[in-house]
Amino acid sequence: MFDLFREISQTLRNNKLRTALTGFAVAWGIFMLIILLGMSRGVYNNFNSFASADNANTMGVWGGWTSKAYKGYKEGRSIGLKDSDLPKIMQSDRRRISSAQGSIVLDSANISTATDYITDAMYGRYPDEVRYAKLRMAYGRFLNQPDMDMKRKVVVISRQNARILFGDESKAVGQYVKAMSLAWQVIGVYDHDWERGSYVPYTTAMMLNGNDGRLSEIMVRITDVHTIEEGEDVEQSVKTALAAAHEFSPDDRSAIHIWNRFNNYLSNMQATGILNIAIWIIGLLTMLSGIVGVSNIMFVSVRERTHEIGIRRAIGAKPRSILLQIVTESVAITTLFGYIGIVMGTIVTGLVAKLTEGTDFLKDPTVNISIAVQVTIVLIIAGALAGLFPAIKATKVKPVEALRDE
Amino acid sequence: MIIRLKDINKTYPGAVPLHVLKGITLDIDRGELVSIMGASGSGKSTLLNILGILDNYDSGEYYLDGTLIKNLSENRAAELRNRMIGFVFQSFNLISYKNAMENVALPLFYQGVSRRKRNAMAMEQLERMGLADRARHLPSEMSGGQKQRVAIARALITRPSIILADEPTGALDSKTSGDVMQVLRNLNSEGMTIVIVTHDPGVGAQTGRIIRITDGLITQ
Repeated sequence: MFDLFREISQTLRNNKLRTALTGFAVAWGIFMLIILLGMSRGVYNNFNSFASADNANTMGVWGGWTSKAYKGYKEGRSIGLKDSDLPKIMQSDRRRISSAQGSIVLDSANISTATDYITDAMYGRYPDEVRYAKLRMAYGRFLNQPDMDMKRKVVVISRQNARILFGDESKAVGQYVKAMSLAWQVIGVYDHDWERGSYVPYTTAMMLNGNDGRLSEIMVRITDVHTIEEGEDVEQSVKTALAAAHEFSPDDRSAIHIWNRFNNYLSNMQATGILNIAIWIIGLLTMLSGIVGVSNIMFVSVRERTHEIGIRRAIGAKPRSILLQIVTESVAITTLFGYIGIVMGTIVTGLVAKLTEGTDFLKDPTVNISIAVQVTIVLIIAGALAGLFPAIKATKVKPVEALRDE
Repeated sequence: MIIRLKDINKTYPGAVPLHVLKGITLDIDRGELVSIMGASGSGKSTLLNILGILDNYDSGEYYLDGTLIKNLSENRAAELRNRMIGFVFQSFNLISYKNAMENVALPLFYQGVSRRKRNAMAMEQLERMGLADRARHLPSEMSGGQKQRVAIARALITRPSIILADEPTGALDSKTSGDVMQVLRNLNSEGMTIVIVTHDPGVGAQTGRIIRITDGLITQ
């Protein structure tokens, strides 16, 4: 092995310019591959932070306006979802719908303390919203079942609002705020990338709304759904159930709106998967020119060393050892310069990650160790392929002919 | 009998096929110092290539140290060359970027001998040739006579059955030629079988037996 590297470094030193140019082509190819893969990671991570598998099993349902006359009703009728719709949705597909929860949005509520006030959305939600909305509790706790059962006037506010209302977010828990002429006790402070609204128990919000059963949105949690077709199937059952309850045409597309996060998630995953494949193809094609360069340098090297190969064959080198030497040489060149490309690419993606921190379109656009390993394997295979044909040519060297000169 | 050739024929194919060896029959005993002489084109180089397992022959039989050398695979031929034959060439054929010691040690590399061991053995052979102080020199830093002695050391390192020398003095002046011939004769007196191909009668005269080839046949 040591001899092999000694010989490789010798060959490379004999052809500095050619080695440098070929090396640059390989390093550049790998560099581009790493950059592209890093960017695609960034886009992927970004998608993922909005639509993760956690809350992908959710469908949001809103009321809309009918666009078709149906059962004596004219078109243009407003459809308002009600608390009583929840059990009907549950019954429409017992196997795949695990829960249907109402949600009430009290828009632009004024929340005030003695020192300051804010105007922000107020949501009437269920306790498990903390998980679906990916809220990170900074202080105190989120809503719980007793809050719901007793219709407590408690509120969970964002860290930013807590700072405005109380000056110091760590002092907010246990204090009271005023909203809609009522006093609410702050039970928790949460952290989130962009959500700022305040959360109160759904039952409390329902009571405040006048107890007429109207709600803003229904969130349907689904289980055991794996394909877009199954997702659409559940969507259709929900629609049919609501059409019967509110007497609108089941094929009316605007009477209610359904946002199927599961199907959204699946298409995002498909899109990023396709993106990833496309990036690999582009990257590999970029690398190809480098590989052809290595193959070229090896062909020239074999030609220049025909005499030497003849000597080696005469004193007992088997074709196999000649083949191994040339292929190893090629792999060594490719891996060496490829590694330089990996390092440069990693540095640049790291810089891009720093620069784009907190922006909307990329999130952490860096390559992880598994990509580095994949690229290294690609390098070794590419190097072996690049060296294979020159090496086969080298084994065809007949010692008699190689020695017949001078 | 270390070399036994029976009716060896060799034809180079082509538009006009060239019948180079027309039935060579030849025996060489262990410990002999033999020269093969002939004009250029007589077939003596082809004979040397067949003796050195560098080339095939069409018909006949060639036994080297009791082994039939016929239709061998490339791998087997390489192995036999490595273990049984030591080559000495007119143009030395040393590898230019390896120093004397590494050149001498190279055949052992293909036997899988460890680096330290083969370098030690190479030093031994170089000392025998009186070149211990040149071990770290590259071929370009040595005289013709020194290079040929390095090549002889390389030929000896695997303890081969025979040494095949192709015009070993062809590139040397008369004084160095004499030195190199002296080295070969000393080796022969220690029991080594040596076959020298040459067209120099002076070299032929220093060997125990001269085999003359004319037009692909042994004439004497």
